[in-house]
Amino acid sequence: MRCAECTELLSAYMDDELMRDEQEAVREHLATCSECAREEQALAGTSRRIKENLMRHATPDVLKARIRNSLARDDAFTPAPVPRRPAWTRWPALAAAGLVVAVASSTIAASLTRRSLASDAIAETIVDAHIRSLMPGHLTDVVSTDQHQVKPWFNGRVDLSPAVPNLDSAGFLLTGGRVDYVDGRAIPVVTYTRRQHVINVFAEPADGRSSSAHETRNGYHMVEWQSGGLEYWAVSDLNSAELEQFIALFKRG
Amino acid sequence: MSQRDVERFERIVLPHLDDAYTLARYLVRDEHDAQDVVQDAVLRALRYFDGYREGDARAWLLAIVRNCCMTWLRRDHGTKNVISFDAGAPSVPDPRETDARAIQRSERAALTRALDALPDEFREVIVLREIQELSYKEISDVVGVPIGTVMSRLARGRKRLAVALGLGAKEAS
Repeated sequence: MRCAECTELLSAYMDDELMRDEQEAVREHLATCSECAREEQALAGTSRRIKENLMRHATPDVLKARIRNSLARDDAFTPAPVPRRPAWTRWPALAAAGLVVAVASSTIAASLTRRSLASDAIAETIVDAHIRSLMPGHLTDVVSTDQHQVKPWFNGRVDLSPAVPNLDSAGFLLTGGRVDYVDGRAIPVVTYTRRQHVINVFAEPADGRSSSAHETRNGYHMVEWQSGGLEYWAVSDLNSAELEQFIALFKRG
Repeated sequence: MSQRDVERFERIVLPHLDDAYTLARYLVRDEHDAQDVVQDAVLRALRYFDGYREGDARAWLLAIVRNCCMTWLRRDHGTKNVISFDAGAPSVPDPRETDARAIQRSERAALTRALDALPDEFREVIVLREIQELSYKEISDVVGVPIGTVMSRLARGRKRLAVALGLGAKEAS
């Protein structure tokens, strides 16, 4: 075997992807040609360094949630022959497929017993608004980490003034605000982030009916509470313990 | 598509989501763009799912992701300056970092830079082989080229990387 031919085959030789006789011929050539042997070492070293240093990436939770949501929606748009179970009853099957973050399935029981959110339709709209906000460029209309910029920004844009507490010291970073249309009206949304998780806080005038609820939809946690004549919803894929912590701090202002 | 089809899709295809995301990360070289591309690819996969009968679901999904990445790269995105996330890691080293870790970090950055700089058709076969450990036959299915082409692209890609890393291979062809 000539060197040129050997060089050509070296890479496939390393991968054990040659025909047996070719594999054998390269092996014999390498035993006798130091130049080609050096070349093989260089290529094998390159290959090893890539394998050792470059990692496989885990799918981020935000992407899993986006996919979960679009699959649920795709399903919803297709007429099915039998009455469908609600989307969330499929999550256990999904978890088996390795898709769902553990936290989602662990809260299904809770969502079954505490489905007291005022209206399913509004809850659905709010989760939709949350998911829409995760699309690139949709999260904030006013980008600011300063509560004294975000709060006045809502003046004249919406007819109520939501609380915008500064929770930086607790690790919940204010990222800005935006106006969403939910159920036909403009409502203010204040956004925070914790690590890579987005928390959207929606505010609406309280309708007098006192309700507080925890729910999990499409893998997102939703919590509802009242404060200062307003009704708030926080939505996030953050785990429920941290979301509860966030809400306790938010209420305290 | 019935709910049973969606469930079957979730069971068969979605376990390969990390592979899909990994491929997209290395091909489009941006975390957020990779997310968009994978979401798009999964929805396409669901739409094409009727056409999937039996066989290697991972290769089937990766082929769709790969095509979505290539479409994305061709739509002008490919020409933008790529600053890889790893390469752009903090320039001020943490004083508590051990030497071994610092070396590993700089090695990783050098590798990422070298890989990011490869032409797309070399980068994809390298990622599929070295990181995702596909066989030549599987790579040929995912990329849609003959096995001989996979072989020569891998050989040339590796050679370029070896040169870029200063590992003393002969000049890249």
